[in-house]
Amino acid sequence: MNTLPTSPEAIATLLGSFQPVALEDDLLTPDDVEQLRLTPVESLRVVMLNGFFMPELSTLPQDGSVTVATTLNTDSPDEGVSIRIKAGSVLAQALEVLHVSFSFESEFIAQPRLRVVLEAGAHATLVEQYTHLSDTLCLNNAVVEVFLEAGARLSHPRLQQESLRTRHLSSLHVNQAAGSHYHGTTLAFGGAWSRTEFHVAFSGTGAHCDLNGFYLVGDQQTHDMHLDVIHNLPGCSSNARFKGILYGNGKAVFNGNIVVKPDAQKTDARLSNDNLLLSRAAEIDTRPRLEIYADDVQCSHGTTVGQLDPEMLFYLRARGIPQTQATLMVCDGFASEIIDTCNAAALQQQAQTLLAKRLASVTALAGVNDA
Amino acid sequence: MLSVKDLHVVVNGKEILTGLNLEIKPGEIHALMGPNGSGKSTLSKVLAGREEYVVTEGSVTYKGQDLLALAPEVRAQQGIFMAFQYPVEIPGVNNTYFLQMALNAIRKARGEAELNSLAFMRLVRDKLKALEMDESLLKRYVNAGFSGGEMKRNEILQMTLLEPSLAILDETDSGLDIDALKIVARGVNTLRSPERAMLVITHYQRLLDYIEPDVVHVLSGGKIVMSGDKSLALELEAKGYGWVQDGLEQAA
Repeated sequence: MNTLPTSPEAIATLLGSFQPVALEDDLLTPDDVEQLRLTPVESLRVVMLNGFFMPELSTLPQDGSVTVATTLNTDSPDEGVSIRIKAGSVLAQALEVLHVSFSFESEFIAQPRLRVVLEAGAHATLVEQYTHLSDTLCLNNAVVEVFLEAGARLSHPRLQQESLRTRHLSSLHVNQAAGSHYHGTTLAFGGAWSRTEFHVAFSGTGAHCDLNGFYLVGDQQTHDMHLDVIHNLPGCSSNARFKGILYGNGKAVFNGNIVVKPDAQKTDARLSNDNLLLSRAAEIDTRPRLEIYADDVQCSHGTTVGQLDPEMLFYLRARGIPQTQATLMVCDGFASEIIDTCNAAALQQQAQTLLAKRLASVTALAGVNDA
Repeated sequence: MLSVKDLHVVVNGKEILTGLNLEIKPGEIHALMGPNGSGKSTLSKVLAGREEYVVTEGSVTYKGQDLLALAPEVRAQQGIFMAFQYPVEIPGVNNTYFLQMALNAIRKARGEAELNSLAFMRLVRDKLKALEMDESLLKRYVNAGFSGGEMKRNEILQMTLLEPSLAILDETDSGLDIDALKIVARGVNTLRSPERAMLVITHYQRLLDYIEPDVVHVLSGGKIVMSGDKSLALELEAKGYGWVQDGLEQAA
């Protein structure tokens, strides 16, 4: 089974075993984008192929509310896209960033970099998707930085559905100024192993951060979720809710850390992680942590690890619903608490479909209770 | 319709039913009464198919087939419905979706066409209206955060929707106020027909003021010790279960 390297040396060795890939023209077509998109066709869309910005496939704004800049220097490690949303703009439509892994090369590394700035008072929805068109072995090493200026609001649903051979690393940095509001949902389905890091920091008071996450981990898969929420200023709030379903020999790590610094009085911080294990061989290592150095705060953290509740299954079966379908319904209900926080219909639909498809393929589900 | 013969059931190594006999014919309503721990709920769970309840002896025949050989969902598909004493909360699963899945699973098994959402909503609204129940139950997750009364109403809604051949009400009346009790009774009475049978398990005579049983049984020590018409329930209410026990001891 693929295990996720943890030491810096091991990660460096791993990164070194993947080769940078050149920008390949005409590989990704408008038809592909049409198939993969999760927002309406006319939405603002930034398409990235193996970490390279694809301007001819992207739909860029005309009205000046959003500016997109790139270095367009293929040799630069800083190749990336910077999106800036003008102060006070309220975007009626979602903005989509589509990351596609697709190459005839193998063992290549893609390093997408995205920087999103919402100027003061701007409101937007950013739909991010990591997907693939071929089942190549690659490493996706993404960095996303989000800057919310005073009073800005961002809704940020993210779907990771890379190929089951892909290695996915992504680190999300959220920086929030006074009174800003971040609402994020990260749904991790794909990758042989994937690791998502969340780093949240506040630069002003009265800001709120919602971090929601769901992971589905099957045979030969590893998912890591690492959270670092630093409350360094008074009067901010954060709510992190993560859930996972594991089956086969799938393995997941949840490492959630919330730090409340001495000056961060009146902080309200919540952290929860709930896991549903469908097999004996599945493994979850969960570590919710709270470090509190202020005395006037409200904080809570909790974690659960459980199996399918036989009472629930019996209730559904006693109403005529076959066991496999009953199992799917219970799992779906468990996941939907997180998936429903997306506020993006097509992405939500896609996630539900993926979940149902993956769970239905687990033939052993019928015998879950016997395990 | 249902024939239980010399049924012995063990739960967690303890024999709870010790040779129970019960015959229910189509069109009949049977009331099963008895003190706490006499095995009333065990019988309902065995009939619904709970796997933790081990049948060590005896047989249960339903519509001519061996009921004990059937999976819980197959029993439901063949017309058995048990209203749970303690309905289960299923967070994240919408009640309407659940009801539709259940009805369609049963319709499919009966060889009937599945109902689409529109047709289903029309049907469920009619049922709610007939029961004088509020539609808000439909929008919530299955039993999640429901009060005791709401849970029991939801059970009765399921019963009237699924139109079972044999309905088993496992202490559905316990903890209900008089309005909720009337809804339960209305549900049972609207389903009453010559083709259907019901087994109403209750601790008190109160529910039987609204649902008139054809036969009343008293369960004690894991078997039926006394059967009679509805006057037996009144007698029990007046004299208490101790009267049955005393009678048994004197006979012994």
